[in-house]
Amino acid sequence: MQWKNVSLIYHREMRDQLRDRRTLFLIAVLPLLLYPLLGTSFFQLTQFLRDHTAKVLVVGGRQLHGVDWLPKLLDDGRFDAALFERPDQRDSLELVSARDFPALEQDLRKGKRLRTEGAADGQLPETETDEAAFDNAARQLLDSGQVEAVLVFPTGFKERLREVRRALLERQAGDAADLPEPIILFNSANDKSQLTQLRVEQVLRRWRSDVTEVNLTASDVPVEATSPFELRPRDMAEAEQRQAAVWSKILPFFVFIWALTGAFYPAVDLCAGEKERGTLETLLTSPALRREIVWGKLLTVMTFSSITALLNLASLGLTGKFVIDQLSQIPAFGQEHALSLPPAVSLLWLGAALIPISALFSALCLACAALARSTKEGQYYLMPLMLVTMPLMMLPMSPGVELNLGNSLVPLTGLTLLLRALIEGQYPAPGLFIAPIAVTCLCCLLAIRWAEEQFNRESVLFRESERLELGRWLVHLVRDRGETPSFAQGVLCVAIILVVQFFISVALSVHQGGPLDFGALARAVLISQLACIFAPAALMTIVLTRRPGRTLLLERTPLWRHLWAAAGVALLMHPVVVRLAEHIAKVYPIAKETEAAAKGIESALAGAPHFLVAVLLIAVVPALCEEIAFRGFVLSGLRHVGHKWWAIVLSSVAFGLVHPFLHQKINATVMGVVIGYVAVQSGSLWPCILLHGLHNSLQLVMQHCAAAVQADAQHPLAYILGGESPLLYRPLTVAACGLAALAMLWSFRGASYRPTREEQLETARQRGDAPLAAV
Amino acid sequence: MIEARHLTKVYADLHRGPFVALENLSFTATRGEVYGLLGPNGAGKTTALRILSTVLQPTHGTALVNGFDVVTRPAQVRKTIGFMSANTAVYDRMTAWEMVEYFGRLYGMEDEPLRQRMELLFERLKMQEIRDLLGAKMSTGMKQKVSIARAIVHDPPVLIFDEATNGLDVLVARSLLQAVAELRDQGKCIVFSTHIMREAERLCDRIAIVHHGRLLAEGSVEELRDRYNQPDLEEVFFDLISNQEKELATGNR
Repeated sequence: MQWKNVSLIYHREMRDQLRDRRTLFLIAVLPLLLYPLLGTSFFQLTQFLRDHTAKVLVVGGRQLHGVDWLPKLLDDGRFDAALFERPDQRDSLELVSARDFPALEQDLRKGKRLRTEGAADGQLPETETDEAAFDNAARQLLDSGQVEAVLVFPTGFKERLREVRRALLERQAGDAADLPEPIILFNSANDKSQLTQLRVEQVLRRWRSDVTEVNLTASDVPVEATSPFELRPRDMAEAEQRQAAVWSKILPFFVFIWALTGAFYPAVDLCAGEKERGTLETLLTSPALRREIVWGKLLTVMTFSSITALLNLASLGLTGKFVIDQLSQIPAFGQEHALSLPPAVSLLWLGAALIPISALFSALCLACAALARSTKEGQYYLMPLMLVTMPLMMLPMSPGVELNLGNSLVPLTGLTLLLRALIEGQYPAPGLFIAPIAVTCLCCLLAIRWAEEQFNRESVLFRESERLELGRWLVHLVRDRGETPSFAQGVLCVAIILVVQFFISVALSVHQGGPLDFGALARAVLISQLACIFAPAALMTIVLTRRPGRTLLLERTPLWRHLWAAAGVALLMHPVVVRLAEHIAKVYPIAKETEAAAKGIESALAGAPHFLVAVLLIAVVPALCEEIAFRGFVLSGLRHVGHKWWAIVLSSVAFGLVHPFLHQKINATVMGVVIGYVAVQSGSLWPCILLHGLHNSLQLVMQHCAAAVQADAQHPLAYILGGESPLLYRPLTVAACGLAALAMLWSFRGASYRPTREEQLETARQRGDAPLAAV
Repeated sequence: MIEARHLTKVYADLHRGPFVALENLSFTATRGEVYGLLGPNGAGKTTALRILSTVLQPTHGTALVNGFDVVTRPAQVRKTIGFMSANTAVYDRMTAWEMVEYFGRLYGMEDEPLRQRMELLFERLKMQEIRDLLGAKMSTGMKQKVSIARAIVHDPPVLIFDEATNGLDVLVARSLLQAVAELRDQGKCIVFSTHIMREAERLCDRIAIVHHGRLLAEGSVEELRDRYNQPDLEEVFFDLISNQEKELATGNR
């Protein structure tokens, strides 16, 4: 790859985009206008919010008049100003009476006879019909929005107040509990009504403490009697820290969304647009390599992505500063809650994180856009892209999610969390610092490779619009099937396995009642192996390939030395895998539920009728099913990618994915690479099945060995196993076995490896000679 | 200069199953000649030339361009050819000068030789007045000129023209044919595909008649006329094609 060409293409694409009015509008003009416009509408809305006055219907309020000792509650169609936190809030609640609704007046007045929970039983039967009539009237008013809440003081409430006061003054137990209490009616389905109810409640609470205070004073009890002390929480966070906590959640999400949007439109224009305008073919006939074209375009998209994000940030910052300044003048936003602009350091971190993120988004967008035939089709791909990336960016915003090794490995989420920690001023351990960046870079490379792949596929570059007819397409799939599955079919098989597995695991967990016994375990394993893994792979092999034997690597008779070597690798890898699992468990502790599940399986296996039955269930069946699926169908499909190591690694990642627990996933991925290599080199599935089966049965045998060594320290096995609990291989054993396993794997090198057509072509290209004729 | 060996291209097609666009096509074109691919629409001409320009991969067979294999050394092949077709458009948001300069640089030309070469080309193709005109504002004829300048800016020994006169008016088509003839006289190896008899007759030193992806006959206009005992190329063409259609029909039966 020549960087001179990349730079040439980059400069041309930049110039081209800058001459495009649409692009300029999206990246430069839109952000400048967007936030001031949003700001304007926000101000309009706040005005609406402030001007809003709620109406409260008060029934039975008159009985509160003429009690001279009672603090004032109602005052001239409003609640008393003293009952509000700020006197100007008094106008936000307007009081109306039953008289204001002549048609319903009669029914509303019946509310005075409403029963409350505190009221004594043995009411007259007629109150029930009264209650229903009142409820109807109140509901009518609330539903039509004529009032936001109804406050009822039932007849007898005054007596209750008097009784309480009397009991206090005379220092004797009262019987006020039997007397009615006020009721607030509201409609929780209506936000406005709910808000009004809260306000009214607040007012009544204040009034209640006023009443208490008056009563206490009258009975010569100090007011402090009701509240001997006050709780005074003290927030030790400094203003900047509080701000950082807020910004750390908002800013990464905001910037990343704009980085994605900013990448998408230029990407569509640079790929699908060029295809549409016919200039892509012109470029493809120039000496520029596909890789150079992809890099040139990628850098352009990246530039636009970061500029869009930065401009939006700047525009938001300027508008935000203005808005914040204004908001801090509104009394409702207390000074201590007022936001200020994010600190400079956080902006620096944001800028630094923007580079890998925009690279990742650009590569993704470019690959999607390369797939599209036209700009219109390109636009369709934005939605799926958003659907995939959004949850990953939203997850870090949910409370309680913090950066740890597990989620630092999740693409996007890890980086967002790292960024959040940095903005908050926490500097994580180097491991947590590097992991998200490494994962992002890896994803970037994969996405770039995918984009390059799109540019190398003529079916993508010269796709002609063909009517999509599902029936014909299915016929075409079966009629024109290849000898082995295509790359896409391999990926589809993995997707189907994952989907079926999801549904079956949910169904199994629902039907699984009571403790796990051997029968239930056997059923679960058989169902998940046969239905989730074996069936999709076998069906797809039969329907989609012309040579099932070749697809599943069953055509060749395995060589004895390959079988021996596979068995050797299985035995020698075991110590390595056990050590690795232990190490992973140290770094990322096993969850309690996982451990309980593992214990449950272990005890269920102990209930097997015979040791060999357990081996059959745990080792032989999975080895057969999983090998047919992953080293058979999936790997055969993925090998069309043109490089065996890519195929091996991708198939083992898929193999890891279908395992339920994290530790199993990592373990399976590592073993997947080993078995995949054996499959490619030996060209036969049998060594793989042997290796896999032996590996699984060793887990079972280990438990027996462990028991033996722990019982007798002089046992021959003690030389390789440490006598500690849980039982572990000695480090020396691990190292020796690891080396020996590598040597055995090395013996597979140059075996009867049969390269695919794509692999031969790739090799021929790298050597620059003519391709092998007979493929 | 160009040696196509058993080029075969099979496309997957939803309706028809595997569709053979090219079948075992072999031919050789040398320097100083215009080799014509003559065939009706859908004969496989564009597929063949796209394979020669390395944007498509053959299903079987290969081709050598200037000694480089199109399958394994595509980058070297692209350096030594100039490719122009009805599908290769010019950039809308670039001027004629910028466009040709851009491709000159992609072909690895140094600043000064590139400038001299471009001045020469712009003069010879009478493009000085569209020098600073954006592609979007050009007429079809102007765009075609820019495409020619773009294809020959690096002075390649091999030139491939795929239906290059499609959609051009008589005047522009005529000047394009003249330009191709001049290039031949400069000693270039030229492959020229068309479905227009007169163009083939006038321009091509040797002609291959292609139909349904197969080479039916090859030779100069005179040779073809004599071999098939017909008064002109059009009759030869029609004769060959209707014979093949008949053969295919009986074969299918």
